[in-house]
Amino acid sequence: MFAGLALAVAALLVTFPAWTAEWESSRYATTILRDMLVLAILALSLDLLVGVAGMPSLGHAAFFGAGAYAAAIAAQRLGSDELLVGLVAAVAVAAVLALVIGLFAVRAAGIFFLMLTLAFAQMVFAVAFQAADLTGGSNGLAGVHRPTFAGIDFNGPEALYQLVAVVFLGVVLISWRIRSSTYGHALAGLRENERRMRALGYDTMRLKLSAFVVAGAMAGIGGALSAYALRFVSTNDVGIGRSIEAFVSVLIGGTGTLIGPVIGAAVVLYIERVLPSSIPFAETVLGLVFVIFVVAARQGIVGLARESYARVRR
Amino acid sequence: MIEARELRRAFGGIVALDGVTLSIAAGERRAIIGPNGAGKTTLFNILTGELEPTSGSVRLGGEDVTSRRPHELARRGLARMYQRNELFDPLPARENVALALRAEAGPYRPFTAPARTERAAADAMLERVGLADRAGAQARALSHGERRQLELALALACAPRVLLLDEPTAGMSPAETARITQLIAALDRSLTIVIVEHDMDVVFRLADRVTVLHEGRVIADGTPAEIRGDTQVNEVYLGKVVA
Repeated sequence: MFAGLALAVAALLVTFPAWTAEWESSRYATTILRDMLVLAILALSLDLLVGVAGMPSLGHAAFFGAGAYAAAIAAQRLGSDELLVGLVAAVAVAAVLALVIGLFAVRAAGIFFLMLTLAFAQMVFAVAFQAADLTGGSNGLAGVHRPTFAGIDFNGPEALYQLVAVVFLGVVLISWRIRSSTYGHALAGLRENERRMRALGYDTMRLKLSAFVVAGAMAGIGGALSAYALRFVSTNDVGIGRSIEAFVSVLIGGTGTLIGPVIGAAVVLYIERVLPSSIPFAETVLGLVFVIFVVAARQGIVGLARESYARVRR
Repeated sequence: MIEARELRRAFGGIVALDGVTLSIAAGERRAIIGPNGAGKTTLFNILTGELEPTSGSVRLGGEDVTSRRPHELARRGLARMYQRNELFDPLPARENVALALRAEAGPYRPFTAPARTERAAADAMLERVGLADRAGAQARALSHGERRQLELALALACAPRVLLLDEPTAGMSPAETARITQLIAALDRSLTIVIVEHDMDVVFRLADRVTVLHEGRVIADGTPAEIRGDTQVNEVYLGKVVA
């Protein structure tokens, strides 16, 4: 039953442009949904650290941005529009960056880990800003070519949306498998009691580093899709703002779940992109929502839903 | 099996261990007793690699393991029951044990779901420590005594060669104490056990030999009968506890 439902939702998601063509000719909703899915990939990857392994990173945009730049620069310098070239470049660059930063960052825990990841991400931001020859500096890289794959051209808005949707579903599937594997269980053990994990014989430093690299690589995929979707990469993609967007998505949606970060990303993007056209001071709404969740609903939307479901059943 | 030589450890100006030497044979059951602050837990933390000694060395199974990290010692067959429980609180008791059982195979199988046989193995371990009917309960929902039993299950699930027990009966009711003492007494005789304990009935029931620590030094070492008759030990420790 659950598998059937998931398949149906997946099919509806991928075919969204087709069944909305009648009332959505401007492709506004498709664009919004596309960007929600990109943010959701970033949030899902961050939640592997925050929610599963208990590693609160505030520098996750470094890997998202690295992936975005890598995909854009690969397309530009290699003159290749091949999707796999861009994605492989994005994953490789993001993973290597995560490995280098992780070697230092995973030695710290809790608030110190958070501050270290923030500091490293700011360094990456500074490099992106300074290395104008490669990254376009403050101008960013405009006109990123959209990719092709096996003869399919993802240039049109519908095709690109579908690319994002399919990759998103792939990331969800991988995240699900990871979380339900013995590896995912070990990460949860790390979150709950690192000392005990060490005493059981787990090399917790290496385990944390591996999680950091996997999450970084996954964020890189999101970055590449962002570069293709917006046809633009800038220092915003490696900035603290993007890291916070992802972090807030995870917290609002509910940490340690698959659906939570996705819902959280949708809520954050809705408030940022859709709400400002209908109400004044929409920018403050996100802050307000965040405060409410931190104060009153630490378990996020998923936690609230679980609680009310439990209450109804009782 | 496990040996400490001239272990010293200072915290700032305070010397917690001041040249402790002891040698525990394979299959031996050794109790370490002494008043609070004698350095028992510091000694355990050094033996398990959680703390580095200021000087001195530790050997495990003939190999110098001084300043090896805790997981490396665990992989060499050292398991520990903490004085204050170190459990995975929100996880079910069964999953707590499963994490211990899985440690040997290592965690790097990101697409492999836990084996089906694992559940039975975890349940068997829980049954061994008397928690058969609590397998599905969160660790945090267990009573204090049950949490001690689960703590022991985690240590045993590592299939250790050397088992360090830090006050296994701390905070337990007499009935719970009797049960866990019985459980430890019934463990395989090839297992080397080092036990820190304040309850002298438990010590004299379990230990082959007793080492007495006082202010970071070994002041006596002998069979339970010898220790009972030692006047100095009675003065600094036993006299106060077992009047």
